[in-house]
Amino acid sequence: MYYISIRKEDWHRSLENLLSSHDVFVPVKDEFGLDYEPFRLSQAEKIAYNVPKPTTPLKNFFLPVRENVSNIVREGRPRIIIGAPNCDVAALGLLDEIYLDKDFPDPFYRERRRNTCIIASDCWSVNEHCHCTSYGIKPYSEEIADMALLSDGDDIILRVISDNGKELARQLTAALPVEEPGKLSFAEKRHRDTEALLSDLNKGLPDYKTTGEIVLKAGSEIWKKYASKCVSCGACTTICPTCTCFLLIDRPGFEKVKQTDACQYPGFERVAGGEDALFALDHRFRNRYMCKYVWRPQKFKSIACTGCGRCIEACIGKINKNELFMELA
Amino acid sequence: MMIPMTGNNINIYKPLRASLTEVIEESPLIKTFVLVPEEDFIFRTGQFIELSVDGVGEAPFTPSSSPLVTETLEVTVMKTGYVTGIMHELKPGAVMGIRGPYGRGYPITEFKGREVLILGGGCGLAPIRSLLFTLEHMKDDLEKVILCYGSKTPADCIYKPLFSRLNSIDKFEAYRTVDITDDDWDGPVGVATKLLDNVKVSIDNSVAVVCGPPIMMKFGTLKLLEMGYRDDQIYLSMEKNMSCGLGKCGHCMMGEFFVCKDGPVFTYKEIKHSPEIWK
Repeated sequence: MYYISIRKEDWHRSLENLLSSHDVFVPVKDEFGLDYEPFRLSQAEKIAYNVPKPTTPLKNFFLPVRENVSNIVREGRPRIIIGAPNCDVAALGLLDEIYLDKDFPDPFYRERRRNTCIIASDCWSVNEHCHCTSYGIKPYSEEIADMALLSDGDDIILRVISDNGKELARQLTAALPVEEPGKLSFAEKRHRDTEALLSDLNKGLPDYKTTGEIVLKAGSEIWKKYASKCVSCGACTTICPTCTCFLLIDRPGFEKVKQTDACQYPGFERVAGGEDALFALDHRFRNRYMCKYVWRPQKFKSIACTGCGRCIEACIGKINKNELFMELA
Repeated sequence: MMIPMTGNNINIYKPLRASLTEVIEESPLIKTFVLVPEEDFIFRTGQFIELSVDGVGEAPFTPSSSPLVTETLEVTVMKTGYVTGIMHELKPGAVMGIRGPYGRGYPITEFKGREVLILGGGCGLAPIRSLLFTLEHMKDDLEKVILCYGSKTPADCIYKPLFSRLNSIDKFEAYRTVDITDDDWDGPVGVATKLLDNVKVSIDNSVAVVCGPPIMMKFGTLKLLEMGYRDDQIYLSMEKNMSCGLGKCGHCMMGEFFVCKDGPVFTYKEIKHSPEIWK
């Protein structure tokens, strides 16, 4: 891991040059909020660096909502995604374990991962429901991503993490290695400040080591209480960077269409004979917590909730999972 | 994590086509489909496939034929829902889709030198028939095989000729019961687990296999435990909504397990703490 520095003007010009061979996505802030948009030099001033967090979770670049998976996997045009917060980057760990498992690697997912360079963005501020550090996730990326970006006045500093990142760094001709350790002291301070903000914001919130036990011990009353505000819309799973459940739909010609699905929808576990372990809404509601905090941690190394807080923001019933945990803690 | 950039480009979602050559009516609600896949199909007994009707849908089934036969494949299907209803309308000549085989089958090498007690109910005899073909092939390595099977009525019993054939094989015993009798039936009446009262089995040196409807799986397991079987001697073939078969889609989650990939065969010990295993 090493750092390079490039003047913002040169950085944007380099991205412009890369457009001839790559699709480049950047986080753009407008009246609707912050989200990824294709890079255009003329809109460069609208790019928001080092702020959490784009509306769209990073997973959508790798797992489209709906795709026909019958055809041959085609080599995709290389992509550069800039501005992913570490809560989203860390979530790719679980997605990789599921979709790149040794038995059945998903060739569509693998091709997208292979052709995508992720330039994460350190978070220097927090949103109301951000709680990554409560679950042991740092607000800046040092793994899984290929690079991470730190905006420093007129300069862009890039933390080069992976071989893919090194390769891209070589293409940024105006970039210089950061040799002076003092040049990075601002970043260390920013990290400390963000961590302090998160710590203040989430005082008393149980950590990821204890959430599983809490969920297991919780009686049915708490699930019934919170589920009474749930309308099974699936917004929480749609927006979650680690939820990946899907349904295979048949089309003529033995074609298969893979479409995102969610355990919050009625009938998710119904079998042909009619039995449905998740028939009751409060069972479905609890299932999501069991999955994220009990079962996935038993089965996978990667974390299944990265504390992004999007499920709280997206819930139309105003269900706040952190309030639920605080009530149970 | 290093992303494995290379690897085969097998499309894990793409079905193999198979011609339907024969449809055997086993009971009013159950038919066996004899399929000839476009290439040899190899599976281990107890593994399952996703069988599809073009443009309609697919559903998981454990083949009922012998894994030693690779040119043809037999799948026994009970008419239960939308997809199986349309399957039952299919005639020889139709083309179906197969994905798989998926999951962990029966650990038959662990059965060597032991007695195998099999409890089956209804359409659960389909995977059991495949297992019986395998056990017959390895009978020199087994002590004994006992099949206890129950159907709702005598007419609902599938593979009727199978029972007399099994009883003619050295080391094999097969028993039948029905829940509701008719004029022609002179055998035992009652649930399949009642047959267990009369079997002679040396429990310490045996394994038990249970496959059938959820209610039978539950009471069968409880009965076997009562008989003295340990939880790691009981093998259950679990039924869940297995959509992808690849351990990804999440539909068949049972606790931390993907039933499609970690099962569908589990020992009771492995899953007894999972929620709602009998649903």
